[in-house]
Amino acid sequence: MSLLTVENLTVTARVGQGGVARLAPVLRGVGLALDKGEVLGIVGESGAGKSMLGRAIAGYLPPGFSVAGGRVDFNRRNLLAITAEARRAMLGREIAFIPQEPLSALNPVRTVFSQLGEHYTHLGIPRREHRARAIEALAEVQLPDPESLLRRFPHQLSGGMCQRVLIAMAFASRPRLIVADEPTTALDVSVQARILELMAALQRRAGTAVLFITHDLRLAAGICDRLAVLYAGAVVEEGGAASVLSRPLHPYTRALELANPALSARRGLMVLPDHMPGLAALAEATGCRFAPRCPVRSHGCAEREIPLIGDDRRVACQYPERTLGITPSAPAPPHRAGTGEALLSVEGLGRRFRVGGMFRRHGVTALEDASFTLREGEFLGVVGESGSGKSTLARLIVGLDRPTTGRIILAGADVTKGDAAARQIRLANLQMVFQNPSSALNPRRRVGSIVAQALEAAHRPTVEREAVAAELMRAMGLDPALVSRLPAQLSGGQRQRVNIARALAARPRLLVADEIVSGLDVSIQAQLLALLARLRAGGIALVFISHDLAVVRHLCDRVIVMQQGRIVEQGETERVFASPQADYTRELLAAAPPDIGAPAPTRLLAIPPPAG
Amino acid sequence: MLRTLAWRAAVALPTLLVVSSLMFMALRLLPVDPAAMSLPPNATNADIAAMRHTMGLDKPLPVQYVIWLDQVLHGNFGQSIHFRRSVAGLVSNALPATIELAGSAMVIAFILGVGGGLLLFALQGRRSELALETATTLAMSLPEFLWGLLFIFVFGVALNWLPFTGRLAPNLPQPSGTGFLLIDSLRAGRLDIFWSALLHLILPASALGIAFAPPIARVLRASLLATWEQDYIRQARLRGVSETRLLLAHALRNAALPSLTMVGVQFGFLFGGSLLIEVIFADPGIGNLMVDAVRNADLPVIQAVGLTYCVVVLVINAVVDALYMVLDPRLRRA
Ligand SMILES: Nc1ncnc2c1ncn2[C@@H]1O[C@H](COP(=O)(O)OP(=O)(O)OP(=O)(O)O)[C@@H](O)[C@H]1O
Ligand code: SF4
Ligand SMILES: [Mg+2]
Repeated sequence: MSLLTVENLTVTARVGQGGVARLAPVLRGVGLALDKGEVLGIVGESGAGKSMLGRAIAGYLPPGFSVAGGRVDFNRRNLLAITAEARRAMLGREIAFIPQEPLSALNPVRTVFSQLGEHYTHLGIPRREHRARAIEALAEVQLPDPESLLRRFPHQLSGGMCQRVLIAMAFASRPRLIVADEPTTALDVSVQARILELMAALQRRAGTAVLFITHDLRLAAGICDRLAVLYAGAVVEEGGAASVLSRPLHPYTRALELANPALSARRGLMVLPDHMPGLAALAEATGCRFAPRCPVRSHGCAEREIPLIGDDRRVACQYPERTLGITPSAPAPPHRAGTGEALLSVEGLGRRFRVGGMFRRHGVTALEDASFTLREGEFLGVVGESGSGKSTLARLIVGLDRPTTGRIILAGADVTKGDAAARQIRLANLQMVFQNPSSALNPRRRVGSIVAQALEAAHRPTVEREAVAAELMRAMGLDPALVSRLPAQLSGGQRQRVNIARALAARPRLLVADEIVSGLDVSIQAQLLALLARLRAGGIALVFISHDLAVVRHLCDRVIVMQQGRIVEQGETERVFASPQADYTRELLAAAPPDIGAPAPTRLLAIPPPAG
Repeated sequence: MLRTLAWRAAVALPTLLVVSSLMFMALRLLPVDPAAMSLPPNATNADIAAMRHTMGLDKPLPVQYVIWLDQVLHGNFGQSIHFRRSVAGLVSNALPATIELAGSAMVIAFILGVGGGLLLFALQGRRSELALETATTLAMSLPEFLWGLLFIFVFGVALNWLPFTGRLAPNLPQPSGTGFLLIDSLRAGRLDIFWSALLHLILPASALGIAFAPPIARVLRASLLATWEQDYIRQARLRGVSETRLLLAHALRNAALPSLTMVGVQFGFLFGGSLLIEVIFADPGIGNLMVDAVRNADLPVIQAVGLTYCVVVLVINAVVDALYMVLDPRLRRA
């Protein structure tokens, strides 16, 4: 008997405007089993229903959502039928949750100790043992100086430290099951790797079963025993992790794997059209939900839905034998050594900030002595962990901020001073696209008018504006019919593409992009990467800031590695990735999740095996 | 934290200067002549001129202000024209009664406001929420003096449950000491006086407090609703924390932060509102003193009482700031 069995679980959400409310199945007939001590990965893109599964297990669905059928049995009890009291007694004790956003998951006005203590009280640990327990637990999750940490408040800790505190809390009761919902998504790559190691070590020692929810197939590959791939609320493939990854049976699994750029070599990507159906579309959908995007769909796919079949390897597809035949739809972008003219050169650039109150002010060096040259048509990647100065560099280049030292030469002119002449040169040559597309787009303007904004400023006639907008939309892979929508009515990927279209309307020679693919699903990311690769043919140059090394390797000709405001290494991407010179570059590469199928790096934590 | 408070104090001084000078100018522009009013009706014009000279009223306005300020800084608020006593003595005799009244009203407003906010939040979506909502609207739409009159009529006159004039039963002596009856009576060991003072406080303090509780309750409910959606609430629930504990130990303190500003503003208004309540309940505080002073164009007293109100509001603001820092660790410097 498994520890956790989910049988035919269906969760519906009320959707619909006006009088007719419809029920959309957010989870459809989900069946899973998790054994003691096993790690089951739930993989899928946003909107697949991953978190809803965790919430159904916890018994707390959002308002408007309800369980329409099925069972969730945990330790021989039906979780869907127990009283609120029994559920409360079980939560935190037998089932623990590790959240996605560690910084906001701790109460900001209470100390670490008071929150740990509250949990210990819930577990029935006498008050006088709390302090010793807490210190021991924090040391166990490798937090330095636990004693002083106990007095601190969450805002005084980094995201990684908060997540360690939350992990310490989750493991405090030696729970039988831990549900970890994207536990490292909000963290830096290097921190992410250490947190995963820690979780794995504690999990092995305590024999805890883990439901590991992630959008990142590569991450799941490294730590899960079994994988379940979720699409549009249903499990489409399930089986042992190694077998699912090496021999995927469902086209979606294969597409997910091929949508990820690889860390070890440049390769072609699978670019799926469109995106996963949203709630409203789910209410209408019939047949194989993946059919509209499936590269090998065939006779009967759109009419009939195949249930999950098989024993150890289960798949829900009519033509699983075609899956392995799927090959990348977009070729690997070619490598180009920059031979053109210098478009942008940065010399000895630095930026210091004064921080603090009226008294006791001190300087923070966000960027120091940065020098590099970008040639026409070249793609330059900028990598480094959070706080390394990447965004500061971008802000200086586009003129949102002034450097304290150094020079910026754009298209042969010195634009360091940022005066009217410099603004003119920037306007004529560069455009920027930033991480958060929703805040960059005016919420009250229609998409068409947003895209054509630059032409409006140049006083072009309306007909021309509309034509160019439609043209750009098509080039971005957006349905030109979207021009009459408001930004709020678009998906995240669509918004980011509108954002890029808007920047391109001004026909810049240089595009500065700060983290424009992070936070997007891999299939959407692949669409954007293919789009950027197409732009390269048009001769545009790109400064591409990203924390994702594989993406940078895929797209960029040259790369800059930054650490604490300094450039520690720069060069041709292939050279830097193949033989990194700086220690920091090596650390970054080691911390990135390895490619699927590549041997996992061996980094063992000094956590003792279970006693007795 | 100390730095913020020092900053507050540094800002308070210019505020007081501006307020006092404005008040000084405005009062001097009134068509009343304190010199004439301080003399018997049969005084000659020469007498009045002599008096004006003695009182310094013949000097230019800014000079008069500087002289007044200099005296105030030395603790000398001058002589009351009407009462013929030192203004400082008058104000310090009357102030404890007002502070006792306003303080009790604040406690009542705070308890009703926080309790009401929690209740409004806990009852959301039920039919009883509507009843409570109506009650708060009603409480808010009557001004404090109408509440006072209503209470006097219902609990004082009709039901005859509670006293409604003065601070003590007429047969009891006023204990000496700080002027705060609740404190002095306890120190003197006179429980009968304490009880009488408490009974006399109930109606005026409730009238004042009830009018100011609803805004506190509503802001608290709104911020509780926002806090309830936060990640840390959901995460604590997933650790098995009970709903009651979630509300009281996790949400309340976070939700209190935005409400605190509202509480500070309300308390400023409440202190001002004590004036009418004192008049209605014949409570010998600075409100009544002010009314007497205005009726008699007693400029030194008006100025001193006005300044007192200003100082109290500044002190309330400083206390709110300090509370912010106690409640929100993010504002304290490491
Ligand atoms: N306005 C500012 N005032 C003070 N310090 C700042 C300011 N902007 C940036 N910094 C500091 O400069 C350093 C670099 O910041 P920057 O935002 O450029 O890093 P980043 O690599 O882009 O980080 P992330 O990946 O999180 O966006 C950080 O230590 C940051 O705290
Ligand atoms: S059933 Fe058809 S459409 Fe669906 S995944 Fe399989 S091949 Fe593709
Ligand atoms: Mg950044």
